[in-house]
Amino acid sequence: MTTKTSLLKVILLGDGGVGKSSIMNRYVTNKFDAHLFHTIGVEFLNKELEVDGHQVTLQIWDTAGQERFRSLRTPFYRGSDCCLLTFSVDDSQSFLNLGNWKKEFIYYADVKEPEKFPFVVLGNKLDVTERQVSSEEAQQWCQENGDYPYYETSAKDATNVAVAFEEAVRRVLAMDERTDHLIPTDTVKLHRKPRSAGACCS
Amino acid sequence: MAELMPSDSRRCTYFFLYDGSKVKGEGDPTRQGICYFYPEETSLDKQELLCGQLAGVGRCVSELSFSPVRILRLRRNKFAIRMKDDFFWALGCSVEVPTVSVCELLDQLINLFCFYNGSVRRSYQLNSRGALAARWAQYLSHLQSGCSELHYIFSCLKTLDSTNVDPLLLLKAALILQACQRCPLVLAGCILFRGRVVSTQMSPQLTMKVMVQENETYNKAQRLNGERTSSPFGGDVCYTTVYLTMSELQFLQSVPADKDFSSHSTPHKDTPPTRTRLSRTLSDMSESENSDPGCSQSYLKVSFSPHLSDCSVFSPSTSQSTGDPASPPPQLLESSLSNGNPSDEAEELEEEEEALEVSYYHSFNSNEGGGGQKHQEGDNSVSEESPRLNGGREDGDAAGGAAFDFRGAECGHEGASRGGSPQDHKAEMSGPSPSSSSFDKSEDSPLIPMMLYLHRVKGLVLALLAEPHFLSDSSSMEEVYHSSLASLNGLEAHLRNVSPVVPGAPGPYVFAHFDCIQSTLTANLSGRPGGAPERPFVRATSLLHSHFYNTETLQEAIIRSAGAAVYGTRSVAQETYFQQHGGSVRNSGIPNHQDSAFSLPSKARHRLLKHGVNLL
Repeated sequence: MTTKTSLLKVILLGDGGVGKSSIMNRYVTNKFDAHLFHTIGVEFLNKELEVDGHQVTLQIWDTAGQERFRSLRTPFYRGSDCCLLTFSVDDSQSFLNLGNWKKEFIYYADVKEPEKFPFVVLGNKLDVTERQVSSEEAQQWCQENGDYPYYETSAKDATNVAVAFEEAVRRVLAMDERTDHLIPTDTVKLHRKPRSAGACCS
Repeated sequence: MAELMPSDSRRCTYFFLYDGSKVKGEGDPTRQGICYFYPEETSLDKQELLCGQLAGVGRCVSELSFSPVRILRLRRNKFAIRMKDDFFWALGCSVEVPTVSVCELLDQLINLFCFYNGSVRRSYQLNSRGALAARWAQYLSHLQSGCSELHYIFSCLKTLDSTNVDPLLLLKAALILQACQRCPLVLAGCILFRGRVVSTQMSPQLTMKVMVQENETYNKAQRLNGERTSSPFGGDVCYTTVYLTMSELQFLQSVPADKDFSSHSTPHKDTPPTRTRLSRTLSDMSESENSDPGCSQSYLKVSFSPHLSDCSVFSPSTSQSTGDPASPPPQLLESSLSNGNPSDEAEELEEEEEALEVSYYHSFNSNEGGGGQKHQEGDNSVSEESPRLNGGREDGDAAGGAAFDFRGAECGHEGASRGGSPQDHKAEMSGPSPSSSSFDKSEDSPLIPMMLYLHRVKGLVLALLAEPHFLSDSSSMEEVYHSSLASLNGLEAHLRNVSPVVPGAPGPYVFAHFDCIQSTLTANLSGRPGGAPERPFVRATSLLHSHFYNTETLQEAIIRSAGAAVYGTRSVAQETYFQQHGGSVRNSGIPNHQDSAFSLPSKARHRLLKHGVNLL
C-alpha cells in the first residue's frame, strides 16, 4: 500500500426512523433490513472507495435519532468531515427538524466556520408513495441554508445512496485541497475522537 | 514439601494429572503416568512422590468408602481430588483457602480443558503430552490471573462496572446478542470488553470458559507459537471448536430466546403437555434409544457426582469403575436419561446419530415444558440438517458471498469447513476416525461439539456459540458478521470513552456482595493485592463463605477478633459481607448489648442500599 489514503468521517444525523442506519447498511453492505431496531448511541462502518482519483476510507457514523439518546451520540460529532442531514420524504416533521439537527451538530462538533462546513441533505424513503415533503420544498431549504447538495434516496431499493456518499466525499475533498490532509494509510489514526474529547474536557 | 509457596501470590501450589493406565505393572515408573505437573520446574522425583502418594491414598480411600475422594490434606496443603477412569487430578492450595474454592478451581480447570479439547482421554490420544501441557498451563494461569482474592474465593465472573456505564450501552450489547440469534445456528453469545463481561446470554460457568479464548486472542500478538495462534485467525474473526456438556446445551436451548425470527418454518410438533417428565423423556427417546446399550446405565454415572452438576464429563466413568450403585434419586435419573444418550456421539452411524439428536432435542423440550421451541426442527427435517455431523460438509454456497470479507480469516474458514487440518483440533468436529471409536465407547462422555465464533473489535469481543456447521454456512456467518459489525464498532467506541472510576478514599466500611445466580461480585475494596487493611476482611469473608457452604441452614454470622467484626448474610441467591471501620472497640470480652458487632446487620442494611444491595 503505497497509495495515499485519507480517512474521512461522515456522520448521519436526522430524526429517529428516517432510515439513517438503513442508508449506511445499504451503502456499505448493500443490504436492507426492514426490521432494524433503534440505533442506540452511535455505530459506524468503514468503506473504501475512490473518488476522482483519490483513495479514501469513508468512516460512516450512524447515530440514534431519538431524543433520549442525545447524550450518547453528541460526543461523537467531533472530528466529522461531513454531515449528512437526513429526513424522510414521507414525514414532514423530520424535514422540519433538519434545522435543529444542523444546530445540534454545529454546536457539539464545535465547527469553527459553520457556513463553510460541508453538509449534504438526504431525503430518504423515496420508494414510499405517500410523500409529505416535495422535492421543491427540500431543494428550497437546501438553497436557503447554504446551498447544500440534495439527494432523494431510497435505502430500500438503493436509489442514489452511493451517489450521495460520493458527493459527500467530493465536498470534503473540495474543502481541503491541501495535501496535508492526505496521510499515508499506515499512520492514519482511526480514532481521533478520544483526543478531541480530551481537549474538550480540559 | 516445606518450601511450598505462600498462598497470597499463587492460589494454586500444585496441580497434576496422573494417568493410572500408564502405570500398571510393578516395574512401571510412576513418571510414565504423569501427564502434567505444575509447577513444571518441580523435580521429577518430587513429582513422583506426590503423585504416587496422593493417587494411592485417593484410590484406597475411595475403594474403602465406596465414594469418591474430594479433598485430601497433606501438611500445609489441601488437595482437591477428582478421579475419572484411570485419570487422577489433584490441585493443591494452602489450607487457608476454603475447601469449596479449591474444589471449584479444580472443577473449573478440568471443565475448561474439556470445553476446548473434548474428552481428556481422546485429547491424550490425539495430541502429545507437551502440547496438552501447554494448555493445562494456559488454563491454570488464566484461572489465576489478574483477579482479586475475593474473586478467587467466589470464583466469580469479572464484569464491567455497571454503575459506571450508561445502562443504554448494556442494552445495546444485549440487543447485539439478540440480533445474532436471528441466525438459527447461533445458540447464545456474550460480549466482553477488556476481559470483562458486558452482556451474556450464557450461564456464568460457560461465560467463564469462553473468556479464556477471548483472552487468548487478545494476547496472541505477544505469543508467537502455540497451535491455535498459528492458525489463520489473522483477522478480526476467529473460531474454534468447543465441547459443551449436555446440561450446558440444555441450558442454552432452554433459554427463551426469541427464535420467532429465526425458526425454521416447520410448525411446532404438538406434544401432549401433561405427560410426566420421566415418561416423556423415555418415550421421546424410544425409537433410537433402545439401541443404545450405554443408556440404561447412564443415570448411575451421574448419581455419583451430583455436586458436579455442570460437569457431566465426570459422570460416565464413575459408574464404570465402581460397579453397581444404589438407586439414584428420581431427578438424577431423569436428568441423566435425557443427558446420557448422545454419549457416543461421534462414532455411531450417522443415521443413528441423527436419530439420537432428534431425541434429545426432544427431551429438552419436554423437560423445560416450555412450548417446545426446538421442535421446529421437526422429526423429518433434522436428519437433513443434523447440525453436528455435517459440520464438514461441502457447502455449495460457500463461495457465493462475494462481498464477504473476513480480512484474513477466510482461509481459516475454508480450511475448517473441509474438516480441519490435522494439527488443528477441529479435526474432531468432523467425526473421529473409526479407530478411536472403541476407546470413546468406554469413555462415553456426552460432550457435544459446537463452534465458538469470536469477533474482535479492539478491546471488545463478540463471542457466539453456534452449531458446528455455522462455519461452513458462509451466508449465515456473513449475515451475523455484517449485522453486528456496525454496532460492535459503536459499542467499542462508547465503552472506550467511558472514563474509569477514580478509586476514592477508603470509606468507613467495606463490603462484598456475591450474586450466586449470575456469579458476579460487587465490592468496594480497593482491589490492590496485599491491601493490608482489607486483609482481615478478606480472610473473614473466606471463612464465612466456607461456613455458609458447609452449613446449609446458616443464614447470618458475625466473625470477630478483638479489633474487627465482619458480618455475613446469605440467601439462596446472594451472599453479603460487611465490615464497619472505626467505631469504638467494644468487641472484647463477653458480648453485651452495647457490643458494636450487634449493630452490624442494621448498618449493613442501611449502608448497602446505596450500592443496590437490598438486605431487607
